[in-house]
Amino acid sequence: MTSRNNIKIIAGAIVCHEAKLRGDVTIGAGTIMHPCAFVNAEAGPIIIGEKCLVEEQSKITHRVPFDRVEQKNVPVLIIGSNNVFEVGCNVEACRIGDNNIFESKCFVGNKVTVTNGCIIGAGCYITEEQVLPENTIIYGENCLQREALCGPGQQTLQMDTLSKMLPNYHRIRKPNLKS
Amino acid sequence: MEMRDVTYNKNDYVETASGNKVSKQTVLCGSQNIVLQGRVIVQPEAIIRGDLANVKTGRYCIISKEAVIRPPYKKFSKGVAFFPLTMGDNVYVGEKSIINAAVVGSYVYIGKNCVIGRRCILKDCCIIEDNTILAPETVVPPFTRYSGNPGVQIGQAPECQMDFMVDFTRSYYQHFVPAKLI
Amino acid sequence: MAYIIEQEVVKYVCTCGLLKPISKLYFCRYCLEVRCGFCVCHEVDSHFCEKCLENMPSAEARLKKNRCGNCLICPSCLLHLSVRAATVGPKNPEDPKATPRKVVYLHCLMCRWSSRDVGIPDQIAATGGWPERENVYNVRLSEIIEWYKSVVLLEKQQKLEKDKKKQRKYMSFTDKTGLTAEMIRKRIGLTEPPNPLLKTKAKPLEGAIAKEDVEELPDNIFTQPIKLNEITTVQQRLLQPEWQPVTVDKLFPIHKHLSVKQSLRCRSCEHNVSKPEFNPNSVRFKIQLFAYYHIPEIRIVTVEPLRAGQPAELLLKFINPTQHQTVVTILDLSSMPELIQDDKCSADTSTDDELKPIEKEPLSLSLTQSASLLHTTLSRQPSFTIKPRQTKQQVGADIEIPAANFVLPPRDDAAEFDDSGENYNFNDDPRLVKWRKSNKAVIKLQITPSTDLNLGDQVVVGFVMQHIYTNTIATSVEKDKEPQKCQHKIRVFLSLGNLLGSSE
Repeated sequence: MTSRNNIKIIAGAIVCHEAKLRGDVTIGAGTIMHPCAFVNAEAGPIIIGEKCLVEEQSKITHRVPFDRVEQKNVPVLIIGSNNVFEVGCNVEACRIGDNNIFESKCFVGNKVTVTNGCIIGAGCYITEEQVLPENTIIYGENCLQREALCGPGQQTLQMDTLSKMLPNYHRIRKPNLKS
Repeated sequence: MEMRDVTYNKNDYVETASGNKVSKQTVLCGSQNIVLQGRVIVQPEAIIRGDLANVKTGRYCIISKEAVIRPPYKKFSKGVAFFPLTMGDNVYVGEKSIINAAVVGSYVYIGKNCVIGRRCILKDCCIIEDNTILAPETVVPPFTRYSGNPGVQIGQAPECQMDFMVDFTRSYYQHFVPAKLI
Repeated sequence: MAYIIEQEVVKYVCTCGLLKPISKLYFCRYCLEVRCGFCVCHEVDSHFCEKCLENMPSAEARLKKNRCGNCLICPSCLLHLSVRAATVGPKNPEDPKATPRKVVYLHCLMCRWSSRDVGIPDQIAATGGWPERENVYNVRLSEIIEWYKSVVLLEKQQKLEKDKKKQRKYMSFTDKTGLTAEMIRKRIGLTEPPNPLLKTKAKPLEGAIAKEDVEELPDNIFTQPIKLNEITTVQQRLLQPEWQPVTVDKLFPIHKHLSVKQSLRCRSCEHNVSKPEFNPNSVRFKIQLFAYYHIPEIRIVTVEPLRAGQPAELLLKFINPTQHQTVVTILDLSSMPELIQDDKCSADTSTDDELKPIEKEPLSLSLTQSASLLHTTLSRQPSFTIKPRQTKQQVGADIEIPAANFVLPPRDDAAEFDDSGENYNFNDDPRLVKWRKSNKAVIKLQITPSTDLNLGDQVVVGFVMQHIYTNTIATSVEKDKEPQKCQHKIRVFLSLGNLLGSSE
């Protein structure tokens, strides 16, 4: 439980100054963090993979579940690459794979494991302990589930445009790790 | 019901010549691209992303706390472009709402905790109730009331919606007064 | 704002007896009465699609079964489908001339269903050309419809013949001289030309035959595990009654239903009370006779905490929406007797009219502004009138009726820009009128909740508001140009909140 911030930004990541990072956070190359994004590594380090997109008002929290407080080894939250965290989402999942999309105002509790290619729709609240199978789409008020044929497309086009636009308007944190 | 006075700390707000009252705790990115037409109130913790594209609001708009006004993007084969977001006059945006719409008409009431999806088009005189999630690219016709997740039409707005919104936003602005120092 | 979030605190009593807030009321200028959505006649003005916001002529709408031709709905989440472009590699990859083609497919942005899930081939044109499915039972259904059309026509003809035989009251000119076309035809020997619709006699319909033998239930229905992701929900299935797919891979997109713009018409005088513009994008009205523009609006400013038996102060704001000055008087509820819905007491309505000081002008047809309505009103009979019903509202508190009335000046739109102050000098009773600004006034009233109420009960107060209504219908040239004024009364009920204290 470190109270000091230990932020490692790998070269190539664009992290706006107004993004709030707390705790031991590592941000991979190509990741873009919008202003007012909030990453809170209170229970352990968070490692964010490459080419992720974290939009404003989104909260990525690493919280220890209530029943596992007394474990001695510190769990690490590993977030894969190519994930999109849209505006206002609140994610506390214990493990996140690649190519997922967390839409606006969704809430993912800390007993959920998100694998690859999942889309958590806007406004969905997922709290039950479960492992979401690959390519699952969750949408609607009642969190209806569907299976998609393939995962969501990549956001490379948007990321490229953003990586050119954001440095013009915001101060970017300097990366402190080369690789 | 009649509105009561809402006081604010004069130091926390900046009042411009055209009567806009903008809180100092808002995050206005790319403020040169943001045009607030006049008598607009922007409350604390609101985020307006003018850096992505132009944002233009009409007169007497009210943007409540922690609302996010974000221009939408459109994917082309050659890349992604962010489109300007225009809001009409007399629009009320509730707290914590996320507006990703392409066009918001005039006299629109948007409740709190709403998500207006990407490239939605909200026509004049519509009502989006609290906690609505509108799917991307939804067209909300005039005089309709949308609610739910996904947002569907549940009823009609009153025919005098235009006058109600004009009255509501104007009286909100008139009652939004700086706290008097004793 | 209360009208936007549907908080119904101040309710007016419509002429039909129902309680509605002012946002849901209309005012017929010709009858000088308040109408609500229940006692007004709803008519379809125009059809339009909500997504593309395009008008569709009514005949075309009926032909297409009230569905838009271009817009489609996602069969799984029932929201709109959008068109998405994709590039597909060339058909022949080895051929150097072949270029990657642009194709479009349908895609739902909520549940991410796509037309590729079902196997619909991608189209080249963005605007349409999506394959339509033929209903297997189309032939049988059209046969049945044709047969029933002919039956209906036959019945109509028989009814007309019966009516003709009955009509012997008046001898027309042709009957006297005996020179109708019918008689000439009979003399010559020709028969009546048959109704063109009856020409093609429908085929006699074969009835549906019930079958005894049904398919056997397969045994594996009990043993095979069900994959819930592959089965359609009942709602998804029943949305397409012609096909009713059981599995998800047979879910096809459906055409979107059209919406309607409605115009409202007063049942007693047949004048339009609300008529929107034709364009679906527009928010203006050709005719807008809303109560909000004619009757003073009442808003609750504050109310003191209510205790049973203890007088409490109530501040009400009255707003005059018209361009004429009005005098508002607050009267007791008993001054406006209820119109009982007994058939025998229909004479009561005429006595009620006598309360108005000026006799209502008979609806002389020269008064109306829109001349086109004249022709329709002359020929149309009111379909049916709504009988007024008893208002079921229990009043829980007494209100002290003020002796004086107060004046509300006309609405001045330029007043907000001009702060030079008002020249009005009304001799207001300072105990009654607390505050004034242009066309608004705040009035103080005393209410006493009754001692019968329990703690936490909703307290409702009622009174009759009488105001002078200036009729703005253009008068004819012969009469003097002063607009008519009449006293208009309306009952108002206010829900003031819960009782906080008891009399103990």
